[in-house]
Amino acid sequence: MNRELLTTIRELCRDEAAFEQLQQILRSEVYPLQQEINQVNFQIDQQKALFRVITRLREPLNLDMLFQATAAEVRQLLSADRVGVFRFYPNSGWDDGEFVSEDVDPEFSAAITQKIHDHCFGDQFAIHYQSGRVQNVANIYEAGLSDCHIQILSQFQVQANLVVPLLQGCHLWGLLCIHQCRTPRQWQATEVEFVQQIAHHLSVALQQAELLSELRIEVHERQQAEQRAQRLNQSMQQAIVELKAVNRELEAFSYSVSHDLRAPLRSIDGFSQALLEDYLEQLDETGQDYLRRIRAATQRMGQLIDDLLTLSRVTRSDMRKESVDLSQLARYICTHLQQTEPDRSVEFVMHDDLVTYGDIRLLQVVLDNLLNNAWKFTSKHPQARIEFGMLTSENGTPVYFVRDNGVGFDMTFIDKLFKPFQRLHGMQEFPGNGIGLATVQRIIHRHGGQVWAEGAIDQGATFYFTIAVEEG
Amino acid sequence: MSGEGNHRVILLVEDNPDDEALAIRALKRNHIGNEIIVAHDGVEALDYLFATGQYTARDVSLKPAVVLLDLKLPRIDGLEVLRRIRENECTRLLPVVVLTTSNEEQDLLNSYSLGCNSYIRKPVDFLQFSEAIRQLGMYWLLMNEPPPT
Repeated sequence: MNRELLTTIRELCRDEAAFEQLQQILRSEVYPLQQEINQVNFQIDQQKALFRVITRLREPLNLDMLFQATAAEVRQLLSADRVGVFRFYPNSGWDDGEFVSEDVDPEFSAAITQKIHDHCFGDQFAIHYQSGRVQNVANIYEAGLSDCHIQILSQFQVQANLVVPLLQGCHLWGLLCIHQCRTPRQWQATEVEFVQQIAHHLSVALQQAELLSELRIEVHERQQAEQRAQRLNQSMQQAIVELKAVNRELEAFSYSVSHDLRAPLRSIDGFSQALLEDYLEQLDETGQDYLRRIRAATQRMGQLIDDLLTLSRVTRSDMRKESVDLSQLARYICTHLQQTEPDRSVEFVMHDDLVTYGDIRLLQVVLDNLLNNAWKFTSKHPQARIEFGMLTSENGTPVYFVRDNGVGFDMTFIDKLFKPFQRLHGMQEFPGNGIGLATVQRIIHRHGGQVWAEGAIDQGATFYFTIAVEEG
Repeated sequence: MSGEGNHRVILLVEDNPDDEALAIRALKRNHIGNEIIVAHDGVEALDYLFATGQYTARDVSLKPAVVLLDLKLPRIDGLEVLRRIRENECTRLLPVVVLTTSNEEQDLLNSYSLGCNSYIRKPVDFLQFSEAIRQLGMYWLLMNEPPPT
């Protein structure tokens, strides 16, 4: 009690006995107040320490620094001899671990980085810590601890022990350990509560760290995926460049074929005709026949070159897609066919309003080839019939077909049908160069469709094709 | 054959001697009597049209009734000849018929873009070629009224 205050009271009091009594009364009043003030001060310090821990949590996350600073803070506040953050090795079943952070009085040995194996713990206690158990031991030798446990603790000169779990979500990550080494120690309820609060905040940090590391892994994976996509994109770009180059070469080749290969044929045909016109009298029948054969062959060659150019063009030309009335195209082609041989009697059966979406020039080539074939292969039939129509397949896509009742073909050779230069009929019987159906197939494939055929000898043929339906 | 085009020359621009002979044969065969001037490449064709080079002495005001123009030519190609014809005030209305081997889309597109009056692909079959020449002569020399000079 304040001496000056007492002197003042004494002077005021003047009675020795009364003063003594007054002093007693005052002392009994003031002492609990003093105690309470101490208690409140400790709580304020605790709150400050907690606040500092929480503040650190909000800074960029560095677990090592956070553990270190918190250990020092807690040790100072509790006047403990050692505060350590113990971590279990992942997947060790809580049998093994080590102190990853520590603040220790220099008088006692460091526990950090020493591997600790305690099978009893993993076996019996981990489950309890997982659900929030706190170990509060005032004296390790009088708490009925197992021998192996006492042995481990005494290794670090521990006499009193306060241990709270550090959880990462629901998973027991490690332990926050407060050691008293000098003497046994009775831990106060406020101290236990404080340590639990600290542990709770460290657990939040652990949870954040885990989320952060998951996030980093995800970011890393995304970056890698992005890089893979970029590499893929680059190689695709490269492939496109190469394809474009190949296409340009093909273009140049076709251009040159178109110009240069046909010119000599014109000379051969032209001068053969000139011989037939100007020197007819000097040529006998055989000579004239030879010249006619030369002309016929030249014209076939010309046709062959034209068909090859068409085949090449359908592959490399740009697709310009639009709505195409196939019925109208087919009718137009059939009218033209009838005009070429007006004497032939052919029944045309054309289904109306078959409209699709594709490149009109290419689809015209398809119908041109299929209908020309039908026309050609029914030429020996007295009642020829050519049909263009549509079926609906099981999955609802339209299947277009061109059907005739002509000479048909042997299904044994079906695989040859769409290959260039393959023919199933003799040149004498039905002229042709075997490029038409190869061209049809390429065009249908470019439209994302399929083409196939059915037929039997002398029972006609049917050619089917589909065109991929596009959205919008 | 009579008409305004009858008195004027036909300018045949053709580097292949066979094609030249066949074209002339087809013209004669169809009784097209106009004088035929042959230029064997683009430079000769332009020299004739603008009275330069070997044709310096020519009266530039006398224009051909029609130019039959091949596309693949040495030195200056057919498209360039066509471009220069259309560029020049004196020749920009001259009837030019492209007479060539190819039916490549780019040739057709370029020729029409540069303002050819007609595009004919020479068929392999001479009789068809001859028929094309007959119709061509009939149209450009007989039926067509040429632009005022």
